[in-house]
Amino acid sequence: MDTFLHLMNGGAGNLATYLAAHVLLCLLPAFFIAGGMAALIPKASITRWLGRTAHYRVSYPAAAAAGSLLAVCSCTIVPLFAGIYKKGAGLGPAITFLFFAPAGNVLALAYTGSILGAEFAFARFLLCLLFGIGIGMLMAMLFWRDDATHDQQTDALFAEQASIGRGATGVLLSLVAVLIAGTLKVSLLTATVGAVTLPLPWAEAWQATLFQWVPFNVARGEEGVSVQGSLLILLLLLIGLSAWKGLENIVEGANRWTWIALGLTAATLLIAAMRLTPRVDGLEFAVTGRALAVGLALWAVLHHARRLDADAWRAWLWESWRFVKQIFALLVVGVFVVGVIRQLIQPEWIQNLAGRNTLLANAVAVGFGVFMYFPTLVEVPVARMFLDLGMHRGPLLAYLMADPELSLQSILMVAAVIGRPKTFTYVGLVAVFSTVAGLLYGAWVDGVNPVWIAIGLAAFLGSLAALLAWTLGRRAAPAHA
Amino acid sequence: MKTVKILGSGCANCKKLEAVAREAATSAGVEAEFVKVTDMKAIMAYDLLSTPGLVIDEKLVSSGRIPTQAEIRQWMGG
Repeated sequence: MDTFLHLMNGGAGNLATYLAAHVLLCLLPAFFIAGGMAALIPKASITRWLGRTAHYRVSYPAAAAAGSLLAVCSCTIVPLFAGIYKKGAGLGPAITFLFFAPAGNVLALAYTGSILGAEFAFARFLLCLLFGIGIGMLMAMLFWRDDATHDQQTDALFAEQASIGRGATGVLLSLVAVLIAGTLKVSLLTATVGAVTLPLPWAEAWQATLFQWVPFNVARGEEGVSVQGSLLILLLLLIGLSAWKGLENIVEGANRWTWIALGLTAATLLIAAMRLTPRVDGLEFAVTGRALAVGLALWAVLHHARRLDADAWRAWLWESWRFVKQIFALLVVGVFVVGVIRQLIQPEWIQNLAGRNTLLANAVAVGFGVFMYFPTLVEVPVARMFLDLGMHRGPLLAYLMADPELSLQSILMVAAVIGRPKTFTYVGLVAVFSTVAGLLYGAWVDGVNPVWIAIGLAAFLGSLAALLAWTLGRRAAPAHA
Repeated sequence: MKTVKILGSGCANCKKLEAVAREAATSAGVEAEFVKVTDMKAIMAYDLLSTPGLVIDEKLVSSGRIPTQAEIRQWMGG
């Protein structure tokens, strides 16, 4: 019974820490950006570069852009993947899109950045982009014959033209500004501009109670919950309740609850950007540079949003709310479960298996990523747990590249569209590329001379090219005989 | 009698679209049969880039978004 309580406590503590510390300044704006991308960017503004006649220099970057700008959920990923493959530029760009979408979209990037660090998010983004295009091109080369003969449907679907409206651009850019102002760690933003102390004498006692509920242990990577965190959790609950009443039928028009929910959201972001410290005589509110920057960016969002027409902003709010409903619930459960599991895993296991940047460690990480299935974004807190338990950052990246790209669900989906031989080739390539990505990033983290890393990358690409030439040669041979 | 098809693999937006379309049909007094299309190949037969898609009498009227009840009533000719 004691063990059970201990586990539950671990889960609840992990959840409270995440909600209080990590979610707000990154995930709230990211949900609004994702919603804005789904509702305000006309698909044709990017997909017109993906038609059958598109040159590969245009179609591969366009496919990657589609992955990061258009595809935030499976509702878009599946039809767009099938569309690019069947009616558009073909297998290569379709694979690039499929590989890049789970890692390159704004939710994944913002979340990875806030939990594992900006450098890690950047490495994930860059390596996924490079290797996504690489895998796409390899697949196109391996299966060029199928690609040339596959059904010659019209590509009217990708001939449509559209551009993004000015109001929509303004809203999206200001939201990105909110995200950056909220998460960037520079002294200009963390500096205190002024402070007010409210006479709330219970603040210090409340902090002591919070640390009793959620233990605070740096060695195990457990962070505890601050007074500010508890206030933010309360505000999040209020937002959830008012959004349920205000956003569920937003398509038909806004009501009083809509404005309450939006107002609460803005207030929450501002409070999260301040620094609240319990003192003997009360609770100190320190206004930071960050709070001012977030306030300014929020004002810009409002200013541009007023220029959107009614259909556009309703669709934007609906899509944002839908992402919250779809992803947030899974994330809450996922983070809780991760907290429970963390109590069961001994750090020594992870350190022995993947504590150093070796080929075996990277391969094990990739294997784990392929066989475990975590819902959208839950792979990030899982990765954080491994990092806290002593996993090396190289294998960690390998795991993060393989996990969202390959799961039983996505393998089945891909197989339904392109058939089994291509799917297995794709799975194999992703496994190899992820392992190599982990090794390279791990070497960089360890401070290995960049020249050696470049030589390693060149050797990998060279052997890959040789293998490819050999495979193509073998395939071509029977045709001559 | 109209035939209304909801195209989508069962994500949240498809369920929402179906609810909105049903309400629109009822309020317009249009008699309609609702068909849910979840098979990817059948969905791709209509030209659309993202689900949910709404098809009324074999004509794709909207995709990738949830139309308002008023729009749907207009498409139904009610």
